[in-house]
Amino acid sequence: MSPRSSFLRLVGIVARRDYVRTVKRRGFIVGTLVLPLGLVALFGLSAVLAPSSSSGLTAGDSQIVIVNDSAIDMAPAAAAPVIQLVVRHAADEALENGSIDEFYVIPATWPASAEVHRVEESGSFSLDAAQRHEIQDGILAAALRTGLLSGTGISADTLVRINTPASVTTVTVSGSEVSDAAMAASVLLPFGFTLLFVMSIFITSGYLLQSVTEEKENRVVEILLSSVPSLPLMAGKILGLGAAGLTQVAIWIGASVLFIPIIGGQVGGLGDLNLSPMVLLLGFVYFVLGYLAYGAIFTAIGALAPGNREAQQYSGFFGFVAVIPIIFSSVFLTDIDSPLVWALVLVPLTAPASMLMVLTIAPDLPVGMIVSSLLSLTLFVAVATIASARVFRATLLLYGVRPSLRKIVDAMLARDQVARN
Amino acid sequence: MSSTAGLAAHTVTPAVSTVVVSGIWKRFGTTDVVRDLSFEVQRGELLGFLGPNGAGKTTTMRMILDIIRPDRGSISVFGGLPGVEHQQRVGYLPEDRGLYRDVPILDTLTYFGALRGMSTSASRNRARQLLEEVGLGDAMTKKGAELSRGMHQKAQLIATIMNEPDLLIVDEPFQGLDPVNAELLKGVLIAQRDRGAAVVMSTHDMGDAQTLCDRILLINAGQRVLFGTVPEVRQAFSDGAVEVVGRDVPTDPGLLRSVSDVSEHDGSVRFLLRDGATASDLFRELAATSADVERFSVDSPDLGEIFIRAVDGDPRTASVA
Repeated sequence: MSPRSSFLRLVGIVARRDYVRTVKRRGFIVGTLVLPLGLVALFGLSAVLAPSSSSGLTAGDSQIVIVNDSAIDMAPAAAAPVIQLVVRHAADEALENGSIDEFYVIPATWPASAEVHRVEESGSFSLDAAQRHEIQDGILAAALRTGLLSGTGISADTLVRINTPASVTTVTVSGSEVSDAAMAASVLLPFGFTLLFVMSIFITSGYLLQSVTEEKENRVVEILLSSVPSLPLMAGKILGLGAAGLTQVAIWIGASVLFIPIIGGQVGGLGDLNLSPMVLLLGFVYFVLGYLAYGAIFTAIGALAPGNREAQQYSGFFGFVAVIPIIFSSVFLTDIDSPLVWALVLVPLTAPASMLMVLTIAPDLPVGMIVSSLLSLTLFVAVATIASARVFRATLLLYGVRPSLRKIVDAMLARDQVARN
Repeated sequence: MSSTAGLAAHTVTPAVSTVVVSGIWKRFGTTDVVRDLSFEVQRGELLGFLGPNGAGKTTTMRMILDIIRPDRGSISVFGGLPGVEHQQRVGYLPEDRGLYRDVPILDTLTYFGALRGMSTSASRNRARQLLEEVGLGDAMTKKGAELSRGMHQKAQLIATIMNEPDLLIVDEPFQGLDPVNAELLKGVLIAQRDRGAAVVMSTHDMGDAQTLCDRILLINAGQRVLFGTVPEVRQAFSDGAVEVVGRDVPTDPGLLRSVSDVSEHDGSVRFLLRDGATASDLFRELAATSADVERFSVDSPDLGEIFIRAVDGDPRTASVA
């Protein structure tokens, strides 16, 4: 067997074995199913809530009881079916026997004073009451305006327009209507997708970290290294565990593609978000490069760390670095061509998340930004992989020892080159 | 599977070197861990690799396995450079060894066999067969974390010989084993040696080295101190004394021409021979007396004693270094 075919055979064996072992793990299965199950639950919840949210708690469902002690004639306003104009003792009686939860008193000082009283049994707070009060306050304001203007000769139609001066809707230049939910989604979805993207890269890289530290802690690594040179061992792990991560992400994306439009259709607008094939392709490229970048770092950390706990601590720092673009997401939304955005897309470790945000926010594909970030990220992946492979083989057999910074640097620069292949 | 009985009758196959180590050096930081070390291991030979802790044994074994590379010097394995093309013919049992804790041992061994060039099915069948042979047939589906220490050791040795290696390197193979299991695994190593594999065994147990090994290599501070067959090494450290146990053994040196000095100790008589005299000369002289000899043995130190003397710089090491 030629060295090349032997190399590929070993990479294949390690990759297949690490893939199968990872996808069979309970943690992987649970982690993979959490998102689809969550979406199913959300779908079910939205289906249950859909009828009530479409009708909502409108003025028609709310009765407002008003006691008018002012000099203004409120009779025209009381023509509306949701308003009951009563005397004080009737209102007190209704409140006492529980047929109403509150009533409003317009005092004699109104309109000289704006003060109006809402009378309740106990004054305790509830979300339901707060929501009802908001609607009732609107009805009361309209009733008071109607009462004030009814004696001035203004027509009924004008009165309606005074009470509801405008109803604003957003349209595109082609004239199609843009819903409020769609506008909210255009802000929230890039944020959500980027968060999911960073999580995916980290979870996948985490498998690599876990695998290396586990084999080191179990003392299996020296047996492996006597059978497989360090480079195909590392390459097999990156390939197999990357494939496991991609499997997880594919299931998540599949579930998102299936359920988000359905849920969006129910809550309105979410289904309008469109990820073009080019954005999806670039997203995949950035995922792979992001995984390779963090995977190289995590492999080296796994080889360097005396144990799994230390490895998790070291890798935590990089978790912070990866989410920096999300922290600055408002800058992406307001000025996508700003120097900060450019800096974040050019720094390799923040590039994957930054570019995903750019791709989902920018109206047109920013070619210059894409090319620059891909070059920067690819160069970093190449250098980091070589350095990581050197650290991997130089420090993997140091059990329970924390190598000095000098040794790590020497290993990265191949000054302490210790193994062939 | 053979036992350790009959070991003494083994003769090394005519010199076919599986491993040739020539003047290798290895430095870690400012310390030369291995210094100008040379030796060879022949096909069908069990070489005992001895030395105090930190002598450079593990580093040397890792260099033969191509896990690390020497700074200077050369290593030839199967006539070529160590590398991936030879790793399928090698078995290695490191001192720091383990198994996957959450994987059944049958799966672990199948994986190790596949890495050594076996097909998955052949590897699985071979693992089953070997597990049965060492009495682990019922434990095949047990995970690494569920095995006792002895079961671990057996499974690890099986991992080493899964591919019928032509070169077997084992580091402290019997450490922590009870006598029954130790004897079982010694039999495994001898069987590998007898079928023609070159076996390099690092051990701190001088008894094992003396009874199992065809040759021994003792290194100290990275340098070769002793290298030769066990009888050669013991002969080199022998002071020519003969120990005799029996009745009416003469104790007057004047009565025996081949003897320069006599001493008695715990019922035995120790004869120091004159220059040029041999144990055979003394045996003939004793036969001519009325002595009733029960035991006659050339007094040579055991390997444990030689180990200590050699590490302390005994000048006799030069003759077998």
